[in-house]
Amino acid sequence: MFGDNSSKKEKMNIIIVGCGRVGSTIVEQLSKEGNNITIIDKDSEVIETLTNLYDVMGVVGNGATYSVQMEAGIENTDLFIAVTESDELNLLCCTVAKRVSNCSAIARVRTPEYSKEAAYLKEKLGLAMIINPDLEASREIARILALPSALEVNSFAHGQAELIKYKVPSESMLDNLAIMNIGKVVSQQVLICAIERDGEVYIPSGNFIIKEGDIITFVATRKQARKFFLSLGSKVKHVRDCMIIGGGKTTHYLADQLLHAGINVKIIEKKKKRCQELSTLLPKAIIINGDGTDEELLREEGIETIESFVPLTGIDEENIMLTLYARQVSPAKVITKINHINFKNVVNNLDLGSVIYPRYLTSEAIVAYARAKKDSLGSNIETLYHLFDSRVEAIEFLVRPDSRVINVPLMELALKKNLLIAFINRNGSIIIPSGQDCIHPGDTVMIVTTHTGFNDIEDILE
Amino acid sequence: MNFSIIRYILGWILKIEGAFMLLPCLTALIYKEKQGFIYLAVAAVCVLLGQLMSFRKPQSNVFYLKEGCVATSLSWIFMSIFGCLPFVFTGEIPSFTDALFETISGFTTTGASILSEVEYLSHCSTLWRCFTHWIGGMGVLVFLLAIIPMSGGSHINLMRAESPGPSVGKIVPKIKYTARILYLIYIALTLLQFVLLLFGKMPVFEALNTAFATAGTGGFGIKNDSFTSFSPYLQWVTAIFMLLFGINFNVYYLILLGKFKKALFNEEVRWFFIMVIAAIGIITINIYETSGSFFKALTDATFQVSSLVSSTGFASANFDAWPAICRTVLVLIMFVGACAGSTGGGLKVSRFIIAAKSVLKECYSYIHPKSIRKIHLDGKEVGDETVRSVAVYVLTFLLIYALSMIAISFDGQSFTTNFTAIIACINNIGPGLDAVGPTCNFGFFSNFSKYVLMFDMIAGRLELFPLLILFHPGTWEGVFRKKVK
Repeated sequence: MFGDNSSKKEKMNIIIVGCGRVGSTIVEQLSKEGNNITIIDKDSEVIETLTNLYDVMGVVGNGATYSVQMEAGIENTDLFIAVTESDELNLLCCTVAKRVSNCSAIARVRTPEYSKEAAYLKEKLGLAMIINPDLEASREIARILALPSALEVNSFAHGQAELIKYKVPSESMLDNLAIMNIGKVVSQQVLICAIERDGEVYIPSGNFIIKEGDIITFVATRKQARKFFLSLGSKVKHVRDCMIIGGGKTTHYLADQLLHAGINVKIIEKKKKRCQELSTLLPKAIIINGDGTDEELLREEGIETIESFVPLTGIDEENIMLTLYARQVSPAKVITKINHINFKNVVNNLDLGSVIYPRYLTSEAIVAYARAKKDSLGSNIETLYHLFDSRVEAIEFLVRPDSRVINVPLMELALKKNLLIAFINRNGSIIIPSGQDCIHPGDTVMIVTTHTGFNDIEDILE
Repeated sequence: MNFSIIRYILGWILKIEGAFMLLPCLTALIYKEKQGFIYLAVAAVCVLLGQLMSFRKPQSNVFYLKEGCVATSLSWIFMSIFGCLPFVFTGEIPSFTDALFETISGFTTTGASILSEVEYLSHCSTLWRCFTHWIGGMGVLVFLLAIIPMSGGSHINLMRAESPGPSVGKIVPKIKYTARILYLIYIALTLLQFVLLLFGKMPVFEALNTAFATAGTGGFGIKNDSFTSFSPYLQWVTAIFMLLFGINFNVYYLILLGKFKKALFNEEVRWFFIMVIAAIGIITINIYETSGSFFKALTDATFQVSSLVSSTGFASANFDAWPAICRTVLVLIMFVGACAGSTGGGLKVSRFIIAAKSVLKECYSYIHPKSIRKIHLDGKEVGDETVRSVAVYVLTFLLIYALSMIAISFDGQSFTTNFTAIIACINNIGPGLDAVGPTCNFGFFSNFSKYVLMFDMIAGRLELFPLLILFHPGTWEGVFRKKVK
C-alpha cells in the first residue's frame, strides 16, 4: 500500500502470465528498468527460480482465473502481459484482465490462423498489442536475406530507414579509414553509430579509425545502404534460394515471405505429417521429408551451392552445429536462430555470423511499449532495439511541439556523452543530420546510445 | 562465495548500528549521564569501521542463499559484539561474556538477563538494552533492505535468512517496499502501544522502554520484578500488544488493504488464538483459588500466556509457584511460539499445523494405503518440499536442544532449570522455571554454558540453518581457490 502509492508515479505495476523463455526474458528486461512486477505461472518451481533471480513477486496458479489475478493485484495493474504456451489461454487471460481493470493487455499469439486475424482480435478484444515472436523472427531473417552482406538489419521509421550491422572484412576500403573521411571515399548518406571491437562497444566520433574485423552498425535509407555496399564491393542483391532446416512456425512464416519476394525455398523437415501440412500451406516451396542433420542429405540437396542456409530446428545446439557445418562446406549466407542459450559469450566467440534471438525481439517490443506508456504524455517511443547484447540502445522518438529540443541547431544542444542522433525522419524523408540541422515538432528522431532507460527525447540533454 | 558483498553488507550493518546507538546518547544527554560519551565513542567506531568496509562497492551484486545465510549470521554476531561494548566500557556489566550474553539476548529478543539488579543501570544503558529488542524484532537486515538500494533479486536471500517462518514471501512485488511496509506497521504498532501506556500513567521513559521490549517480543524488564508492580490496565495493554506482535504481519497489511475477510480467515492466526484462549482458560481455573479474585486470576493468566506464547517473557506473577498443570501448559506453549512472519520466536504455529496435518495424513495412509492426499494451509496446497523442511526443522531443533542440554548439565543445576533454560533461549522467550524462573536470572551459569545459550539464542532467532551452515565445511569450500577470469 505505502509502497505502491509512492512508486506509482515513476514505476509501473506489471503482471506477466507464463514464465517460459519469452516470459522470463521479459521479466529480466522489465525488472531491470525498476518496474513492480508480479509473475503468474502454474509451475511453482519456475516461480521459485525467478523470484530468486529477480526482485519480483510470484503467484502460483492459472493466470486466466479471476481469483489468481486478484491475488496478483490486477486492480492496480498498468500493464498485463500473457505469454503462456497456449494462444487461447493468452487471449482468455487478457479478456479476463480487461474486465477487471483498465490495464493495457498484451498477448502472445503464434498460431498462423489467429495471427492472420491479429488486427481484428486486437481491436475487438481491446488489446494493446499482439506479439508473435515467430513472425518477428521470420521478418528479421527475411530482411537479412534481402541484404546478405549485413549481419543484422533492423528497420526504423516504418521501413524508411535501416539500422545495419556489418563486419568489416579484410582488405576492405573501410580498413584504416577515419569516420569523417567516409563521406569522401564511400558515401555521404550513411552514419556509423556504433562499433564493436574486441568485445568493447564504442559510440564513435569523427576521428575514430575503423579497422578490419570491427563490427560496425550504421543507419541509412534502404537505397543508400545498397549504394554503400555496392561501393564497398559487397553483395547487394537478395539471395536467389534458401534452404531451411526444420518446419516449425517460423519456417512457415519465413517461407511465405521469401516466396513472395521471389526467392526459391527448400524446407527439410523430419516429420512426414508436418511435411504434408507444409506442402498444402506453401505449394511453391520444395518440401523434403528427411533428417536435416544428416550430412548426406544436406549434400544431396545441394548445401554446397545454395545461396542461403537457415537452420530453424527447435534445438539451439543443432542449429549451431548446422551453421558451423554450412560455413565449412558452402559459401552460403547462414543465419542462426538461437532460442534459449545461456552461454552467450561462448556463442559470440564461435563467430557464427548472423544470429537472431526471437525471445529478445519480443521483449524489445514490450519494453519499448512499457517505456512509452510510462511517459504521461503517451507514446513517445516509436521503436526500440537493443544492440550488442543490450549494451547499446537504438530508440526512435516522436517529438512533440512542447519539447525543449526543437528548433535549436543540434550543435547547440547540450547532449549527453556516448550518444548520437542517427537520423531525423521528417514527413517520410530521412535526414542524416549535421550540426546545423534542427529538430522540428512532429519529426521522429533516432538516438543511439550506451545509456539505458531513456523514456523521452529530452533525456538526451545533460 | 561472494565475499565482497558480505563485507559490504556487514559494513552497512555496523553503520546502522552506529546510528541506532545515537538514541542512548540522546537519552544520556537528557538525563545528563556521562555514560553517554561511551555510547558516542562506540557509535563513532561502528560508523567509521562500517564506512571503511562498505566504502568499496562489491564487485558483483549476485549472491545465493549460501551467501545470504552467511551474511545474516555474521551480521548478527558482529552486531552483538559491537552492541555489548558500551556495557563493558561503562562498567555496568564488566564481564565481556555477560555483556555479550545480555546483548545477544537483547538482539534475539530473548530477554534472558544475567543482571539481578536492573534498576541500577543508567538510563542510557536501560534504553539501549530495550532498544536492542526493537532492532532485533523485525530484523536489522530487513531494515537494511528497506533503506539501501540494491539491484537484482538475489537479496530476497537475506530476508529469507532473517525472517521467521517456514516460507518467506513478499507482500508487494519489490523487496524494498515489502521491507518498508513491514517496518511501517512495526513502528505504527509500537507508537500505538507507547501512547496507550502513557494513558495508563506510565512515565514516558518507562513507557518507551516497555513499548520497545514488547514490540520486539523481547522481554527485558525495567524493574527488578518485571511487570508485577504495574497496574492491571498496563498489564492488559501489554498483554494484548504482546499477542498482536505475535501475529503474522501480513495480516495487518491485508487489514490495511481492507481485505478483512482474508485477514480473519488466516488459518495460522485462528489456531494461534484458539491455543491462547484454551491456555488462558486452563490456567485461570487452576490459579483462581490462590489469587483471590477471578479478575486477578484472569489478568495473570492472560498476561503470562501472551508473554510466553509470543516469546516476550515479561512476568506479572511468579508462575514458577503455580500448580503443575499451569506450568506444563506454559512450557508447552513456549514450544509452539508465535505465528510465522511476526516478531515472535518459537517453532511457529504454522509448523505445528503442518506437522499435525502430516500426522493425520500418515494415519489416513494406513487406512487407505494407496491414497494420495495433499496438505492444505489457508486453502492452498503445501508442497512436499515444505512439509519435508518442517519435519527436518523440528528434528534439527530437537537435536540442538538435546546437545545443548547435555552441555549445560555440567553446571549441576536441576533438570527443570536446564530443560527450561534451553527452551527459553532457543525460542527467544526469556524466563524459564526453577532457577531460571521469572524472579531469577541466568547469571549463575558458567561461561561455557552461557556461550552454549548464546548459540541457541542466535540459532533460534535465525531459524537454525543460517547459523548452522556457518559451521559446515561445504560453505567454505573453494574459498581459497583462485577464480577463473
